[in-house]
Amino acid sequence: MSTIELRGLTKAFGDLMAVKSIDLTVAAGEVVCLLGPSGCGKTTTLRMIAGLEQETEGEIRIGGARVNRLTPAERNVAMVFQFYALYPTLTVRENLAYPLHADRLDAGAIEAHVRRVSGLLHLDAVLNQRPGQLAEGEKQRVAVGRAIVRDPNCFLFDEPLSRLDVQLREEMRSQIKEVLEGLNKATVIVTHDQLEALTMADRIAVMRNGVIEQCASPHDIFAKPANLFVAGFIGTPQMNLLPAVLIGSDDCGVRQGAVTSSARFRIGEGTVQLAVDPAVGRLAPESSVTLGIRPRGLELVAEPQPDSLAARIDLIEPMGAETLLHLVDGRLEFRIVVDRRTEARMGERVNLRFRPGQTHVFDASEQRLAS
Amino acid sequence: MAVTASGVRTRGGFLALSWSNWPLALVAALIVIVLAIWLLPGSVAFWISLAAAALVAFSAVAFAYGRRNNGALLVAPAVALLVVMNIFPLLWSLGLSFFRYKANSIQPPVWLGINNFATVLNNADVWDRLRTTGLIMILTVSCQLIVGFLLALLFEKQFRGRRVLLMLVLTPMMLSYVAVGAFFRYYYEPTFGLLSQFIRMFTGEHFLLLNTPWGARAGIVFADAWMWSPFVMLLVLAGLVSVPSYLYEAAEIDRASWWRKFRTITFPYIRGLLLLALLFRTIEAFKLFDVVFLLNEGGPGTSNETIALYIYRQSFQYNKTSYSTALAYIMLFVVVVLTNLYLYAVNRRAREVV
Amino acid sequence: MAARVVSRNVRQARPGWAALATIVSFIYFFPVLWIILTAFKTYNDALAVPPKWLFTPTLDNFVSVFSRAMTYQGAAVDTGFDLFFFNSIFIAMTSVAVALVIGTVAAYGFSRYPLKGNETYLFIILTTRMLPPIVVIIPIFIMFREVGLSGTYLGVILLYTAFNLPFTIWMMKSFFDELSREVEDAARMDGSSEVKVFFKVCLPQVIPGLAATAVFGLILTWNEYLFALLLTGVETRTVPVAMGQTIGGAIGVRWGLLAAIETLFLIPVVSVTFLLQNQLLRGVTFGTVKR
Repeated sequence: MSTIELRGLTKAFGDLMAVKSIDLTVAAGEVVCLLGPSGCGKTTTLRMIAGLEQETEGEIRIGGARVNRLTPAERNVAMVFQFYALYPTLTVRENLAYPLHADRLDAGAIEAHVRRVSGLLHLDAVLNQRPGQLAEGEKQRVAVGRAIVRDPNCFLFDEPLSRLDVQLREEMRSQIKEVLEGLNKATVIVTHDQLEALTMADRIAVMRNGVIEQCASPHDIFAKPANLFVAGFIGTPQMNLLPAVLIGSDDCGVRQGAVTSSARFRIGEGTVQLAVDPAVGRLAPESSVTLGIRPRGLELVAEPQPDSLAARIDLIEPMGAETLLHLVDGRLEFRIVVDRRTEARMGERVNLRFRPGQTHVFDASEQRLAS
Repeated sequence: MAVTASGVRTRGGFLALSWSNWPLALVAALIVIVLAIWLLPGSVAFWISLAAAALVAFSAVAFAYGRRNNGALLVAPAVALLVVMNIFPLLWSLGLSFFRYKANSIQPPVWLGINNFATVLNNADVWDRLRTTGLIMILTVSCQLIVGFLLALLFEKQFRGRRVLLMLVLTPMMLSYVAVGAFFRYYYEPTFGLLSQFIRMFTGEHFLLLNTPWGARAGIVFADAWMWSPFVMLLVLAGLVSVPSYLYEAAEIDRASWWRKFRTITFPYIRGLLLLALLFRTIEAFKLFDVVFLLNEGGPGTSNETIALYIYRQSFQYNKTSYSTALAYIMLFVVVVLTNLYLYAVNRRAREVV
Repeated sequence: MAARVVSRNVRQARPGWAALATIVSFIYFFPVLWIILTAFKTYNDALAVPPKWLFTPTLDNFVSVFSRAMTYQGAAVDTGFDLFFFNSIFIAMTSVAVALVIGTVAAYGFSRYPLKGNETYLFIILTTRMLPPIVVIIPIFIMFREVGLSGTYLGVILLYTAFNLPFTIWMMKSFFDELSREVEDAARMDGSSEVKVFFKVCLPQVIPGLAATAVFGLILTWNEYLFALLLTGVETRTVPVAMGQTIGGAIGVRWGLLAAIETLFLIPVVSVTFLLQNQLLRGVTFGTVKR
C-alpha cells in the first residue's frame, strides 16, 4: 500500500519554526500538492518525507510503516529535484538506469525499463547524450524518467516545472499528469505555481509559515477558500478583498438553488445588498468583515443597483480574449475581468455589480463564514 | 574599442625590415649572441647580448602596439620584466651551451656546436642520475597523491575545529627547505634522532637510515611527500567541495552504494584536479634539489644525486659551465613538454568544469 | 547547466569525525610540533635520549637568534638576524606587491585584449615559472654582477617579482575572464573611461583573486633559497640563507637555535595563510575551481 501519513510533523532550525506540527494523509494513487509562497515550509516538508531532513518532532509513515529512523535509501521513495540533479558525467540512458542498480536486475531487465520510460517521455533521441547537452525540457523529462523507472513507495516532486518557460510548462503539466495517473502511487508535489497545483492535484494543501491553511480538492480550494490567505492566493487575477462593515442581515431564503441570506454592507462610501452565506447572520451588526469577490464575479452594469458600487477606471490591461480593468473609488481598489469587446475608457465612471452568490465573507479573524 | 586579433606573420614576410618583425629580431639576436660570446671578451659580450634581447622585446611590443592594441601597453611592463629575467638568461644559456666555457678560466670559449649535447647524452653518469631522479619522482609523487587524497577525504566535511586543523596540516608546506632538510636529518640521526629511538624501542639497536642508498631514498621521499601532500590535499579538496550536494542527495534517493557514489559523482569532479596535482608535482619533483641537497647531499656518495643536483655540482664545483648548461637545457626541454601537458590539463579542466 | 550556487555545499560530518581528524592532523603536524618544542629546549635537552617530552622551557634560543657568541667562549654579538627577518619580510612583501600590480594589469590586458597567439604567450609565461632554476642561475648571476645588482634589494626584488608574475597573470586572468561584461558595458555607457572601468568595476570584483595570489606568492617567495643564496649580499640576506649559514657553523648544528629561527620564521607566513585560508584554495587551483 503506498500511502503517506504525516502526524504532528515539526521542523525547527534553531529558533526558526519552518514547519509547525502539520498533519496530512496522502492515499494510494492520490496526488497532493503542497502550494504556498517561498518560505512557507513546503520544500522542508517534502525533504522530511524523503529523509533528507531530520524532523524535530512528529511522525512520518510511508505505506503504514514508521520511517522516521530510516535513511532515504531505506524509505524507497523517488524524488524529482528542482535542479534536476542529473548525474553530469553519465549519459541519459545511464541516468535513467541508475536507480535500478540497487534492485540487482540484470542488464536486459534494466534496458527494458529504460526503454519503456524513454518511450513514455519521448527521450529516445537523446539517450546517448549527456545532461550538459540537453535542452531544459529534456533535462526535466530525464529527471522525471529517473523517478518513474523504478517502483518506489511514493513519488516526491520538488517544483518540477519551475525552471521551464510558459509553453514548455503547459506541455509538461499534461504529460506529468498523464504519467502520474498511470502510476497509482501516493505523490506529493511542491509548487508555488497555483496553476500547476490546480491542474495536477487531486488535493491541494495550501501552506503559509509552516502551517497548512487548507487542504481540499482544487475545486473546493477555488470555490470555498477557508480563509483570507487562501482566497487571495488562489485564482488569477487575484480576488478582490474589500474591507467592509456589516450593517445587517436579513433572513434566509433560497436563491439560485442555494440557501443564502441577504445582508447589507457598508463599503467605503457606498452600501451594497448581497446574497451571502447564511452564516453571516451570526455576526453582530457593525462587525468588520472582508468581502471577497473574484474579478470575474463582478460585472459592469449601466445603472446603479442595490448590489453594485460605482468606481472609476484607473488602468486597462488587455489580456487577449479578456481585459482586466483596475478601478478605484476613494481608497478602494477593484479588479474586474470583462470581455475584450467591452468598451472602456480611462477615467470613466462605471457601476460594478456583484454577481449573485459569488461573494465570500471573511470575519475579523480572516476565516470565511460558511455554514 | 575594437579588439583586433593579430596574426604572427608580419607584413612583407619573414625578412621584412620593420620594427615589428619580432621573429626576425629573435633569430638575429640569437646569432649576435652566439657570435659575441665567441669572439668578444666576457663583459662586452654580455652587454651586446643584453642589447640584442632588448631589441627582441622592443620589436615584440612594437608588433603588438603597431596594431593600435591597447593591450600591449598593459602587458608591456610584465612582459618586459619576464623577458629580462627569464627569456634573456635563457637565450644566454642557450648560446653558452654551444661552447666549451668554464666560468673560472680566462680562456675564451671554444665553439663546440652540438658537441656539448652529444657529450651529455653519451655520458653514463647522466643517465644514471636521470634514472635516480625518475625513481624518486615516481615514489614521491605517488605518495603525495595518495596521502593528499586521503587527507582531502578527511577534511571534506564540516566539523568543529576544521579550520584550525586544516591549518596545522598545511604548515609543512610553509617550512623553509633549510629547516626541513636540517630537521629531518636530525630525525633520521641514528643516535638521538626520533626515528631511531622509536625503532630502538622494538629492536634495541640504533637505526641508520641515511647511509644506504635505499634508506636515503626513503628518507628523501618521506620528507618531500610529507611537505607537499598538503598541496595535493588542497587541490583535491577544492574538487570535493565543489560537488553540488543535491547530486549526493539524488544518489541517496536512488539507493546508490558508497562506491557507486564515489565513482559516478565524486571522482569526475576531482579527476581534473588530480591530474593537475600530478603534473605540477611531477614537474617540481623533476627539479628536486633543495631537500636532496640539504638532507644528505645526494648521498651516500652520489647514489641519490638527482639531475638538478648533478648539474649544480658540475657547474659550481667542477666548473664545467657549458657542459652543465647543455644538460640543463635538456632538462628544460623535458620540463617544457611536461608544462605543455599541464597547460592542456588546465584548459581541459576549465572547459569541463561541470 | 543548473545553478552552481548551492547553499550548504559542505556537509556535516558524522560525530566522532572531529576526533579522528584531530588525531590524524596532530600526527601529521608532529614533526613541525617537535621543531617548535625544540626551540624551547636547551642544547642537551634537544639531543636527549630518550626524547624529552617534559622539560623546562627556556627562551635562550630565541634570544640567541638575535644575539649570540660567534666563536666558542666568545662574547655575545649581535647576529644581525633582526636585519635578516626584516629583509625577508621586506623582499617578500615588495615583490608580491609589485607582481600583483604589474601582473594584474597585464592579466587585464590579456583578458580584455586577446591577441591571436594568446595561448602561446601564456604558455611561455607559464614555462618561465616551471624553469629549473639551474638553467638560468648562471646567466642571472653574471648579469647581476655586471649590472651591479648583485647583493642589492632591487636585484632580488626584481627577480622574485619575475617569479611571481606568471602565477599572478594566470590567476588574475582567469578571474577577469569570469567577470560578466554587462556591468562594464553599463559603466562605459555611463561615460566612464577605461581606467575608471578598471578601477571601479573590475578590480573590486576580483579581490578574492588578489588575496589568493598574494598568499600563494608569499608562500613561494618566503622560503626561496637558491637564488637568495647567490644574489643577496651581507646587507640583504634573507632568513633561509642565514639559516643555511648557521648550520654550517664550526660549532656544529645548534638545533635549538635553528628551531627557534624557524619557529619565528613560520609566524608571518602561517598568520597570513590562516587569515586568507579560503583564498588559498582558489590560488592552488590556478583559479579554475569556483567555490
